[in-house]
Amino acid sequence: MSERLLDILTSSFPKLLLACIKVTIPLTAIVFALSLILGFLLALVQILDIKVLKQLARVYIWIFRGTPLLVQLYIVFFGLPSIGITLDAFPAAIIAFSLNSAAYNAETIRSAIMSVPAGQLEAGYMVGLGYGQIMRRIVLPQAARVAFPTLSNSVISLTKDTSLVASITVVELFKTAQQIAAVYFEPFALYCEAALIYLLLNTLLTFLQSYLEKRLVWKYSAEKKRRKKKGALA
Amino acid sequence: MLEVKNLHKSFGENEVLKGIDFSVKKGEVVAILGSSGSGKTTLLRCISFLERADSGTISLDGFEKDMTELTRREVRMLRMKMGFVFQEYNLFRNKTAFQNVTEGLRIAQKIPADKARETAVNVLKKVGMLERADYYPDELSGGQKQRVAIARAIALSPKVILFDEPTSALDPELTGEVLEVMKMLASEGTTMAVVTHEMGFARDVASRVVFMDGGKITDNRAPAEFFSSPESDAARRFLRRMTSDRGI
Repeated sequence: MSERLLDILTSSFPKLLLACIKVTIPLTAIVFALSLILGFLLALVQILDIKVLKQLARVYIWIFRGTPLLVQLYIVFFGLPSIGITLDAFPAAIIAFSLNSAAYNAETIRSAIMSVPAGQLEAGYMVGLGYGQIMRRIVLPQAARVAFPTLSNSVISLTKDTSLVASITVVELFKTAQQIAAVYFEPFALYCEAALIYLLLNTLLTFLQSYLEKRLVWKYSAEKKRRKKKGALA
Repeated sequence: MLEVKNLHKSFGENEVLKGIDFSVKKGEVVAILGSSGSGKTTLLRCISFLERADSGTISLDGFEKDMTELTRREVRMLRMKMGFVFQEYNLFRNKTAFQNVTEGLRIAQKIPADKARETAVNVLKKVGMLERADYYPDELSGGQKQRVAIARAIALSPKVILFDEPTSALDPELTGEVLEVMKMLASEGTTMAVVTHEMGFARDVASRVVFMDGGKITDNRAPAEFFSSPESDAARRFLRRMTSDRGI
């Protein structure tokens, strides 16, 4: 590797990392939080079988899963101004990504809730609990465990999908790489470097996922707690 | 204590309960026998409102009403007077044995934590599961799960406990530990209605046997009489099959 290329890579690395920390990660985090809330609501109106809202949720999911994310992003950022709604690039990105991601999360959450056996609900009723109490205390904690791996998947997808916002002028990790690549005419090196940072970020997320997943398994955490207790006695 | 009258229930075209009159007196252990599909489980599920009855009245502990006209609050009030033990245990999978027992006490009956703990320790001790109090259902055997489920039911001091084939999902060698617990409850005067295929339990523990066939109760008498001279042909056939299957 030439000295010049090495220089470019080492001097651009902190810039890319900074863009990742300042834009890519916050964007991912905000979108994930919003899409989780919206996705949960979309799942809930279907589980509760609320008329009209349930049908609206199905239509929503149909549209947002059925059209490309990039097209949705363009509609929000470039399209809406023509009907008088002008958004900055970052909020436009948050809106488009959250709406899209919520459609997928809704299906994940709905299927997770439905995977909890009806017997759990019946047992809740027979110890005198109401529907809301059973949902909160029994069904949703179990559904969360089922949904967790799929939701983790969606976060990992999201980190990579955020590179699309480069096309609507948000200067995040990928856009930064594009800019530096244009200056030095080194697209291959810079895009590989950007890819590496996405890979690093997702490696961290994967570790986080497997750590949290273990803690979510009740059996595992129970064994650990008991071992600690025994340790304290000895 | 508990009485249902003229209970009807259909699933679509299929009429599963064709006018059932069924009662359990205080301190009685009623065994409900019958072939599969005779409506035994549906009867228990209608009594506990896990299925909506098409018609019929219920009276429990001094409260009487048409089963189709109950409000949500009345259903909840009636359920709090009943315990239910499921064939598939249905322990809350995200809660330990201890928490399974305290859930209803703390949340439904709003009993303070220390009182609930005391009750939970007592009932878990009673079913021999105290040393497994901190275990999650996934860590317990079928027999252990069912004993915790029984502890969960008795902790709430219900007027009557409904058992829906409590040993049918268990390996044969595990049914004994559950039946022992049920026998102990019976000897303490617990009011119970038990849907079961355990002929030994019906004969030795029950104070009355109810036999169901095709959505109707065809026999209703003391176990000794039922087993020696069943009233209906269906019951006679059923008993012959049960005994020949077991090579007795």
